[in-house]
Amino acid sequence: MTGATLLFLIIGLGLVAWFFGRLKAAGMQSGGKHSRSALHSLPNYHGWYVALWAILPAAIFLAVWSFASPALITDAALTSPAAAQLPQDAFARAAILSEARAIASGNQVNAFNPLSQSMVEPYRDAIAYYQMIGAVAALLMVFACGVYAWLQIKPDLRARTKIERVTMLVLLLASLIAIVTTVGIFLSLVFETARFFSMVSPIDFLFGTEWNPKAVAGPRGETGFGAIPLFWGTVFIGAIIAMIVAIPLGLMSAIYLTQYAPAKFRSWMKPILEVLAGVPTVVYGYFAALTVAPALRDFAVSIGISNASSESALAAGAVMGIMIIPFVSSMADDSIAAVPSAMRDGSLAMGATQSETIKKVLIPAALPGVVGGVLLAVSRAIGETMIVVMAAGLAANMTANPFSSVTTVTTQIVQLLTGDQEFDSPKTLAAFALGLVLFIVTLLLNLIALRVVKKYREAYE
Amino acid sequence: MHDDQKTLEPNESVHMTDSATTGVNTEGGPPKMTARHVDVFYGDKQAINDVSIDVNMDSVTAFIGPSGCGKSTFLRCMNRMNDTIPIARVTGDITLEGEDIYAPKMDVVQLRARVGMVFQKPNPFPKSIYDNIAYGPRIHGLATGKEELDEIVESSLQRAGLWGEVKDRLQDSGTALSGGQQQRLCIARAIAVDPEVILMDEPCSALDPIATAKIEELIHELRGKYAIVIVTHNMQQAARVSQKTAFFHLGTLVEYGETTDIFTNPREEKTRDYITGRYG
Amino acid sequence: MNSLTETKRRPTDWQGAEMQKRIAGRYAAERRFKAMGMAAIALSASFLAFLLVVMVGNGFLGFTQTELPVEIDFPAVTGGASPSQFQGPNAEANLQVMGLREIVDSSIEIQYGPEGTDLFSSGAWTAVSAKILADPDIVEQKSTVNLPVVSDLDVAYKDEGNPEAEAKVSELSGQFSTGFNWNFLSNSDATDPMQVGIWGAFKGSLITMIVTLMLAFPVGVLAALYLEEYAPKNRLTDLIEVSINNLAAVPSIIFGLLGLAVFLNFFGMPRSGALVGGLTLALMTMPVIVISGRNAVKSVPPSIREAALGIGASPLQVVFHHVLPLALPGILTGTIIGMARALGETAPLLMIGMRAFIATPPSGITDPATVLPVQIFLWSDEVDRGFVEKTSAAIIVLLLFLLIMNALAIYLRNRFETRW
Repeated sequence: MTGATLLFLIIGLGLVAWFFGRLKAAGMQSGGKHSRSALHSLPNYHGWYVALWAILPAAIFLAVWSFASPALITDAALTSPAAAQLPQDAFARAAILSEARAIASGNQVNAFNPLSQSMVEPYRDAIAYYQMIGAVAALLMVFACGVYAWLQIKPDLRARTKIERVTMLVLLLASLIAIVTTVGIFLSLVFETARFFSMVSPIDFLFGTEWNPKAVAGPRGETGFGAIPLFWGTVFIGAIIAMIVAIPLGLMSAIYLTQYAPAKFRSWMKPILEVLAGVPTVVYGYFAALTVAPALRDFAVSIGISNASSESALAAGAVMGIMIIPFVSSMADDSIAAVPSAMRDGSLAMGATQSETIKKVLIPAALPGVVGGVLLAVSRAIGETMIVVMAAGLAANMTANPFSSVTTVTTQIVQLLTGDQEFDSPKTLAAFALGLVLFIVTLLLNLIALRVVKKYREAYE
Repeated sequence: MHDDQKTLEPNESVHMTDSATTGVNTEGGPPKMTARHVDVFYGDKQAINDVSIDVNMDSVTAFIGPSGCGKSTFLRCMNRMNDTIPIARVTGDITLEGEDIYAPKMDVVQLRARVGMVFQKPNPFPKSIYDNIAYGPRIHGLATGKEELDEIVESSLQRAGLWGEVKDRLQDSGTALSGGQQQRLCIARAIAVDPEVILMDEPCSALDPIATAKIEELIHELRGKYAIVIVTHNMQQAARVSQKTAFFHLGTLVEYGETTDIFTNPREEKTRDYITGRYG
Repeated sequence: MNSLTETKRRPTDWQGAEMQKRIAGRYAAERRFKAMGMAAIALSASFLAFLLVVMVGNGFLGFTQTELPVEIDFPAVTGGASPSQFQGPNAEANLQVMGLREIVDSSIEIQYGPEGTDLFSSGAWTAVSAKILADPDIVEQKSTVNLPVVSDLDVAYKDEGNPEAEAKVSELSGQFSTGFNWNFLSNSDATDPMQVGIWGAFKGSLITMIVTLMLAFPVGVLAALYLEEYAPKNRLTDLIEVSINNLAAVPSIIFGLLGLAVFLNFFGMPRSGALVGGLTLALMTMPVIVISGRNAVKSVPPSIREAALGIGASPLQVVFHHVLPLALPGILTGTIIGMARALGETAPLLMIGMRAFIATPPSGITDPATVLPVQIFLWSDEVDRGFVEKTSAAIIVLLLFLLIMNALAIYLRNRFETRW
């Protein structure tokens, strides 16, 4: 019996339990239709009460069981005669066992190692055995708990209150998933990074200037993991070139739309600009690689830059900047709108022109908000992946020449983790170290930006 | 905005029929600003209906009336601040020293420099005290050098009676001052551009009594150097600071005259009712 | 107190030449500034227009295929097959038995010489097969079928290809025709650009999106309700809020790393499957749903809650009977926007192996699958020039779906948005 069928069976039994619970409670509803019921809660709630009792304990048991059973299964499989042939080396042993388990549970078809093939049968038996135990125990629990709850139904049972308490718990659990995810991200990155740092020194990684992970051979004393060129490439594309494009265009668009444009133009133009943010990044990447990069290279060659690369920092950065325009523009829009109109009136009433008012009063007053928005935009740009993967190239150059190819943190994460993977090699683990750096930097940028923006909002409230 | 059909020579108004319901000045020198048959519309809604009034150099003119009577709207027409509201439409004539301020050749920027405005809520820019005052002279190019600018800042602050309080902290933010000080800073800011008329839109409504008293004292001081128009819903204030009073009601000018006359012997019953507090 | 400095100030000469010049300069600056603003908007909008024009211009050709006519004398080559053989469940098997592929090849060789088969796409015979299945009666007669040509010729005919293909195209000029490439909508990935289709990737996207929606929507809505309606003000709630705001801004590739480390390596879920893809994207989408959900719940006026509480509803009944239904349009709008973002997402899916070559569409959540954006990425990497237009065509399809989703969101917002 597979897990899914079992789950459906349990849910079906839960519905049956709901029906019986409701029936019993309805029978207790004394008096005529219009008299006040003697029940504390409506029969429906009693039905749910029984159903939840039937389903929840069994479901929790199954969840625990699915974590506990693999160890039991492995133990059982190891007692089989075939297990005697297994090598003593723990590492090789684990590899064979995991392969056998994958075949037995149907995730893999053929064995790479003949020894694994011999272990498949014991595994299959053990899996079937423990699955059966789990299923029987779960079904027993459904019946036991369901009957217990059914017996509990009395007119004064506070079924609604109990149901509501459970629902509240579910709501709380749903919100906790956000924390679990954040912690999960952080722990998984930290864990893998720690393993990476046991092979490569953190100093070499953070301050080294040579990035060439392919050259790595031995398990200890690796070189070629100096991430500085990556950090530079990321900053060069995301924080410099992209911002040079996005800040003036975004800011001026926001100013024009909020201060000059007629309402009708604004109501059309704003959504159109926002489309720029809705285009998938892979489309931008393709656009950058197919159209922008060759055009820029031709342009560079025509003005006499001979070493211009077809994968240039400028192409990736400029296209990324275009993508960020609506982001900057909407943040600037919000910040300018938050400046009290009294300030604008004050300036206009002194005979300032509109542009003088904008440049000398509105922008300075909105500056914290705009800066916060730019920080958020930078954080977005440096975490952006597809554009740089497709247009920026893989060469870890430390150059300020926008026509040459540079590589970024995100490009290298993709590069390191695609293709053949051995999970324990420093090459793959380096991706997690890069990911951790990226996570921390974007986190800090966001926290600072949100704080700046919040402070600024409070100042005018 | 400019309605040619209604154009009248400013001095033609002298011969108008009933000076009780128009604010036309019949004595003294030529008025600083005149308004003739001014209507203001917000979209379809008429906010001001046929208002004519003169503002003199040597007196403080108070606009009084219940809230929503149009006194602030009319004030905002006098330096074309209504231009910032897209749906607002003004017809009739308003002149400054005989020039039609709604004429196409009238430059709004210059107009607003000559007709300054102080708002209901103090609205200093989020800049230093010095920069707040220097803002106007800088944009209009009124000072040739740093020294002259310093002089303008000092004299403006002195005229606004704020110099003693802030001379040691000119670089502090304007928003760090108290409410009353902020409002005097805004007055100083308006003075710094050397305007001819200062419009004050309920300048004391956000202030405490002590700060209000200081502003009123300041208005006394400024009288005669600038033509001052003050909108207030505080009748005592109008009586204290103004020489001329105009009573607005539902977008029309009900009565205009010497303040003492309006308060002691109003001609219109509506005015009397308002003054005696029967509505408002 | 002010007589000292007062006299120094001379009245401003507003009409003076110097002042007039200065004002003219200021107005010029004003015009320049305004023009800059307009230019910024025009530039941004023209980038968008340019992007769309390039994509549509390239991609449009991807939906078409170049064809050459082939005359097949069915009665002769099939040895007198009857139409009834190609009806019913055994039709395809009978075509196979008949050796349709060889039949088509030999017909081509008759008409275009011994090298003729090199002119046609390797899947040309499937076009004949489809034709027979649609109308079995054609096997009783001699008929001319337009068959897709090989990719090099296709490129050369539509645009500019390699010299040999160009030479061939001019040699055969006049015989070519253009047909709609139905294969593109019904096939999956292939090595021959004439044979590729987006159906596999589309189905992968669909399954992945369903998994994402099933997970992110309930969790997002419940979390939004909890945070907005019940959460006490304490450290835990603050922590939840910070986490959600932070997750909304975490780069998507980090979610890919999480999926790789936790779902694949720790829980041992099947690689490349829509299940893991959907889970990863759900974690990414959930914060978006929570944030928009909270705004929607917040906009329900307190008077409604008070009215319900006033007639004795429990706090839970208040929320599920009154607040949630009223907030639902807003929540749905946010959900669609979040899903649209997930639909266009590529990077995290590369991390969890959804970049495999998928020639058969996935049929379940654990089958290896790929999604539209990843397919676009994979095709963009192909060297064969025939893939360029296919990539753009796939982009058109993706953009079309995003457009529909966003239009739906806007419609929902306008239709159901209530101003309280």
